[in-house]
Amino acid sequence: MEVLRITNLCKDFGGVSAVVQFGMVQQENEITGIIGPNGAGKTTVFNLITGIYPVDSGEIWFYGKRITGYPSHKITALGITRTFQNIRLFRNLNVLDNVKTAYGVKTRYTMWEEMVRYGRVREEEKRTEELARGFLSYFGLEKHSDSFPYNLPYGLQRRLELARALMASPRLLLLDEPGAGLNPKEIRQLMETLMRIQQEKGLSIIIVEHHMELVMNICKTIHVLDFGKKIAEGKPEEIQQNEAVLHAYLGDQV
Amino acid sequence: MEFYLKVLEITSLHTILVLGAYLMTGLTGLFSLGQGAFLSIGAYTAAISYLYFHVPFPLAVVLAVLIGSLVGFLIGIPVLRLHRDYFLLVTFGFSEMVRATLLHLAQLTGGALGIAGIPKLVGLPTILASILFITFLIFNLKRSRFGRNCIAIRDDELAASLMGINVYGHKMKVFILSSAITSYGGALYAFVIMFIEPNLFHWLESGKLIVITFIGGVNSITGAIIISVAYYSFGEFFRFVDVWRDVLLSIAVLLVTIFRPKGIFGSWELSLTKLFRRRGKGM
Repeated sequence: MEVLRITNLCKDFGGVSAVVQFGMVQQENEITGIIGPNGAGKTTVFNLITGIYPVDSGEIWFYGKRITGYPSHKITALGITRTFQNIRLFRNLNVLDNVKTAYGVKTRYTMWEEMVRYGRVREEEKRTEELARGFLSYFGLEKHSDSFPYNLPYGLQRRLELARALMASPRLLLLDEPGAGLNPKEIRQLMETLMRIQQEKGLSIIIVEHHMELVMNICKTIHVLDFGKKIAEGKPEEIQQNEAVLHAYLGDQV
Repeated sequence: MEFYLKVLEITSLHTILVLGAYLMTGLTGLFSLGQGAFLSIGAYTAAISYLYFHVPFPLAVVLAVLIGSLVGFLIGIPVLRLHRDYFLLVTFGFSEMVRATLLHLAQLTGGALGIAGIPKLVGLPTILASILFITFLIFNLKRSRFGRNCIAIRDDELAASLMGINVYGHKMKVFILSSAITSYGGALYAFVIMFIEPNLFHWLESGKLIVITFIGGVNSITGAIIISVAYYSFGEFFRFVDVWRDVLLSIAVLLVTIFRPKGIFGSWELSLTKLFRRRGKGM
């Protein structure tokens, strides 16, 4: 089943072409990687999918529904969540509440019910709490539920962001450099975690990443970007042999 | 005795206004200098409809709240698209606009002379009950989805919208609620002070509301209320220090921002259940 289809996606920033005619298809229950040198437009692709930037031209389809031009919060409600390259947690909410915020799209009570703490609010808050605690212990964060996110070590902040993204029960998860700043041991943990959640939850995942070890080991398909253009697409083995990719990363041979 | 009662009335009236500002500035991080405008709208609507159109008092208050919320909604449509300093400037302009309008609509508002002869229909019990009720509502909002969304928006709007929060829509709810609370405070104000004029609440007072929520701690309703009571009653009891109380307030602001950037009370909330539980254990 097709989760995401992007066709002819373009984005300029004042004369600089960040993304040019980008297209990809994401299949269900697969992990896909997007790689490329710095400034290749990988994060821009994510920002276009999640509606942070308006697209210049091109179309984005999610489960057969055209989502081009949707505002970010609607895209999230439809089932696409993401993490950020530079961690963006809510600094004035504790770890537990950070995770809870993502469940707002699933709670159904109204503001008026909240004001008087109507029965339904209590029930749904209780369910939210249980779910959030579940995700915290899944990521080994249960001890820290009352701390504030920026008092946690960096590795744990990354995990918290992942927990928060999963709390919204997404069908497609976008991870923007999930391995940045992690040591080799943490990278291996991350790989195991990603494979496990992908299988357990039947998730589709797209990863933007620089760590080749991570991408080559867990991705089924890899797209390579350079200067906003897609220069290659294929299985990890194929990408490793690809002339154009080697050229983009290593330059001309002398 | 009379004097103390008066002080308490004025202090608690201001506390209602602080609660309105807390929701907007403390919880959601919208720095609005327009609170004074909503106070005036509430006060004038209630007074005019009661005196000139003989609307019964409770209905006049309801009318004040409705019109306050409606104006909040209309002003909110353009203003909430702005951020930070732009938002501050436009709400400031709006507040001055309302003041000028009241000044020049002399047939209806009495212009600079204001409206005198409003009967004193509101006493301390009503105001205190209102504070309790409003605090109850805000506290409930704060501890569930609404409050989390507010703080998330204050911390990082982009991340908030990617967590599925409709940032603009949520800000609108906050803006209307805060306008409603402030116009309610304004309606009571008219029937406590018995005299209103266009200058009764200019933008400096709106600024003070913001300062008070910050000293109390943006994450603590308890803090906002305590500091509000302390500041306004201090001002009335120590009339002789007069202008110096603003100097003292400024010094307090400096000390708090340097030594307790999250406010005196931080995220601490007075919890009745905890209080009673502890007492129960003690016995």
